[in-house]
Amino acid sequence: MERAVPLAVPLGQAEVFQALQRLHMTIFSQSVSPCGKFLAAGNNYGQIAIFSLSAALSSEAKEESKKPVVTFQAHDGPVYSMVSTDRHLLSAGDGEVKAWLWVEVLKKGCKELWHRQPPYRTSLEVPEINALLLVPKENSLILAGGDCQLHTMDLETGTFTRALRGHTDYIHCLALRERSPEVLSGGEDGAVRLWDLRTAKEVQTIEVYKHEECSRPHNGRWIGCLATDSDWMVCGGGPALTLWHLRSSTPTTIFPMRAPQKHVTFYQDLILSAGQGCCVNQWQLSGELKAQVPGSSPGLLSLSLNQQPAAPECKVLTAAGNSCRVDVFTNLGYRAFSLSF
Amino acid sequence: MHHLKPQKTFTPYPGPLSLPPQEGKYYSEEAEVDLRDPGRDYELYKYTCQELQRLMAEIQDLKSRGGKDMAIEIEERRIQSCVHFMTLKKLNRLAHIRLKKGRDQTHEAKQKVDAYHLQLQNLLYEVMHLQKEITKCLEFKSKHEEIDLVSLEEFYNEAPPDISKAEVTMGDPHQQTLARLDWELEQRKRLADKYRECLSNKEKILKEIEVKKEYLSSLQPRLNSIMQASLPVQEYLFMPFDQAHKQYETARHLPPPLYVLFVQATAYGQACDKTLSVAIEGSVDEAKALFKPPEDSQDDESDSDAEEEQTTKRRRPTLGVQLDDKRKEMLKRHPLSVMFDLKCKDDSVLHLTFYYLMNLNIMTVKAKVTTATELITPISAGDLLSPDSVLSCLFPGDHGKKTPNPANQYQFDKVGILTLRDYVLDLGHPYLWVQKLGGLHFPKEQPQHTVIADHSLSASHMETTMKLLKTRVQSRLALHKQFASLEHGIVPVTSDCQYLFPAKVVSRLVKWVTIAHEDYMELHFTKDIVEVGLAGDTNLYYMALVERGTAKLQAAVVLNPGYSSIPPIFRLCLNWKGEKTNSNDDNIRAMESEVNVCYKELCGPRPSHQLLTNQLQRLCVLLDVYLETESHDDSVEGPKEFPQEKMCLRLFRGPSRMKPFKYNHPQGFFSHR
Repeated sequence: MERAVPLAVPLGQAEVFQALQRLHMTIFSQSVSPCGKFLAAGNNYGQIAIFSLSAALSSEAKEESKKPVVTFQAHDGPVYSMVSTDRHLLSAGDGEVKAWLWVEVLKKGCKELWHRQPPYRTSLEVPEINALLLVPKENSLILAGGDCQLHTMDLETGTFTRALRGHTDYIHCLALRERSPEVLSGGEDGAVRLWDLRTAKEVQTIEVYKHEECSRPHNGRWIGCLATDSDWMVCGGGPALTLWHLRSSTPTTIFPMRAPQKHVTFYQDLILSAGQGCCVNQWQLSGELKAQVPGSSPGLLSLSLNQQPAAPECKVLTAAGNSCRVDVFTNLGYRAFSLSF
Repeated sequence: MHHLKPQKTFTPYPGPLSLPPQEGKYYSEEAEVDLRDPGRDYELYKYTCQELQRLMAEIQDLKSRGGKDMAIEIEERRIQSCVHFMTLKKLNRLAHIRLKKGRDQTHEAKQKVDAYHLQLQNLLYEVMHLQKEITKCLEFKSKHEEIDLVSLEEFYNEAPPDISKAEVTMGDPHQQTLARLDWELEQRKRLADKYRECLSNKEKILKEIEVKKEYLSSLQPRLNSIMQASLPVQEYLFMPFDQAHKQYETARHLPPPLYVLFVQATAYGQACDKTLSVAIEGSVDEAKALFKPPEDSQDDESDSDAEEEQTTKRRRPTLGVQLDDKRKEMLKRHPLSVMFDLKCKDDSVLHLTFYYLMNLNIMTVKAKVTTATELITPISAGDLLSPDSVLSCLFPGDHGKKTPNPANQYQFDKVGILTLRDYVLDLGHPYLWVQKLGGLHFPKEQPQHTVIADHSLSASHMETTMKLLKTRVQSRLALHKQFASLEHGIVPVTSDCQYLFPAKVVSRLVKWVTIAHEDYMELHFTKDIVEVGLAGDTNLYYMALVERGTAKLQAAVVLNPGYSSIPPIFRLCLNWKGEKTNSNDDNIRAMESEVNVCYKELCGPRPSHQLLTNQLQRLCVLLDVYLETESHDDSVEGPKEFPQEKMCLRLFRGPSRMKPFKYNHPQGFFSHR
């Protein structure tokens, strides 16, 4: 863990407040720019910081390169989810999704291009948007979160085309199954539901907590993270991290991880997961733990792999969570350095 | 017989027929010579020489033939040659004379020429001389050209007609200049007169001034006596001008920084803030004794000689005692000190005594808080009002344990003092704001040797410092009271802060104690605070324990001396179904955030003395929410330990599954931030 040097300068009110804010910061989401050289990170105060990966990875990187190029207040509430299209950065948090132009975002004082709010049923409390998913074939965006529905929004026109209902509690995560195309969603109710986008119907439901091998009642039944690779799906959260075969809805491999996982992704022939606990875990498909690489935050909430073809030198894994730091792994074996808000 | 051939006919030159008169001449030829022709004389000479040659030849002939009759002919010829010789002689004489005459004539002519030449030279010289004189004359600048004369118009305008004589001067520049010079002279005479007059005036006035001065100086003792006489009147009317005057008198003996402090504080007290009263304490005589004039030392010499004899008899004091004396000397205080009495709203008074350390050139302060009523100090509040720490960090970082004057380090090294910290209890704290109030400015890393006490520095800091001092005392007193209540397990929430919390709060504060700084650093859940540098040794540390049922929540509190503008920082550790801290439970982290980051909502009405108690109350509320909203574990039998009584819209939200910690007033339900 990077040890901050205790400050010798006297701390006035403003400095103390800033230090407290940084101590209590949580980074919920990350997104890589289309050119691959920049990384956007969204935190619980509603701020988005843009880091220059190319500057931080270059050989002349100094301490300032690990600070954001620009930080701006994007939302009033936390920024739970972000995705990037080939020109836009889409961020979502408390109830609405905003779009920013990547070329504009690097300049100070940039304004959002547009913001949209899906039609919510309840008006008492604005539900949060926990997950954003891009469907390139349809050029649409799927939002899911606090109101237990999946909304699809057409990116051209901005209209909300469908609302998929079925979850009984709020939705944590989404994954896209390219082939069909189908969307998988995991929620607080403990179920992973598959939706067919053309028919707008739920085609499959997997209630993970009902399977004894993977359920862990003391953690709860919530599904915090999902990833899919055509026929296979891995999900985790309250129940153990499990690899499922989708067609037969059977759990094939249970990964022996006690701590609940908050983010999981397929990478080459490995599965990377992160959650409570400071490590990024690398699993073989057989269920063996290949490596556990410690990061600098006590708990991780999001992983991002920069696989943009335009910037192969910035091909890194970045992990962020319960701190103001984003860990950068140039090589999956160790943490190279950390960017910091 | 050789017969002489007759020569060509030559008539001998007979010479002049009559001779000119011969007065004064030596030779008769001298007169003849003018009359004879030199050419004919030359011919005669040539004839004579020829005849002589002939005769000689004939004689020769005759002699060689020999014979008696020859003798007569020889004789004849001899006589003829004698005659010829005589002619020759005459001719010779003539020639010489002619030569001489010619020479004489030449000489005469030459002399004449020389004379003329000389005359010419003389004349030329005179010409040159005259020319020089002429040029000199032409170049001559008369003194009158150096005088700036008034211009022509002015002259004609101003000069009286008898001087300007326009009709004459207009035409004649020489006269004009003369007239102008006259006028100039006239003017100068007039001005000289005026000057003399003015001088005499000045003398008179100077004398008058002298007289008046003497009068004034005689006035002073009279005024003094009047003032003395008015003293009883002053006291009767409660206008202690004299007292103030006496203070100012004493103030004259203050060292410069204390003097600046005194002046600025009195000014501030009179102008802006009636609650501040300033006084000077200490012995004026001692202060005067510090500056003994050098003449006295002579008298002392004889005494000191006698003393020295005595001391040599005694044993020399040990090195340690010597060093100790040196240290005491270095840390010596000026005998005079300035006292401030700051009255606060609730009748408590902050007494500040400012000292000046002469050799170190810094000021220190000792503080004491007295309250209107006797305070019973709760155990945990021991440090709040202690003289050592009550003024600590009035400004961020100003802990008062180190000397602010960089030059002191060198002085300390000489006498073996490590740091001033060991002496602050006795000498007072050398806070930076104290130096600023005394106008002492220590730029970093530059030792200051001369005492420069700057009034403007003091004035600009006076108001802020006084306000900060009052806020400090009041917040400390408020904390004092609150601690008394906290130690009894009651969180004192004032009525105007009740709206921040729901009506029913079940969790209770059971313990409130101070902990030492080292103990705080040892706790396992406070490491991140220590790493960021927020847990220095100037802070005060406390531990609170909140309980509900089987759940025990420990809260480690960092209280910054700058409370309440700098919020207290909480770190939590919950013991309930395992140990939960911010590293393994996101909701504990959220609770800490609610109390630390969102403190501004909890400040309450100004001057926000309620911050700490509100934070503690909120902590109790948060614990209630946490325990009641814990999702029921299906595998465990039995009901939930804490039934949900709080009204919440949703139990979990967001990727971290946060509990609803935000209390909404007046609806009374809990929601998420």
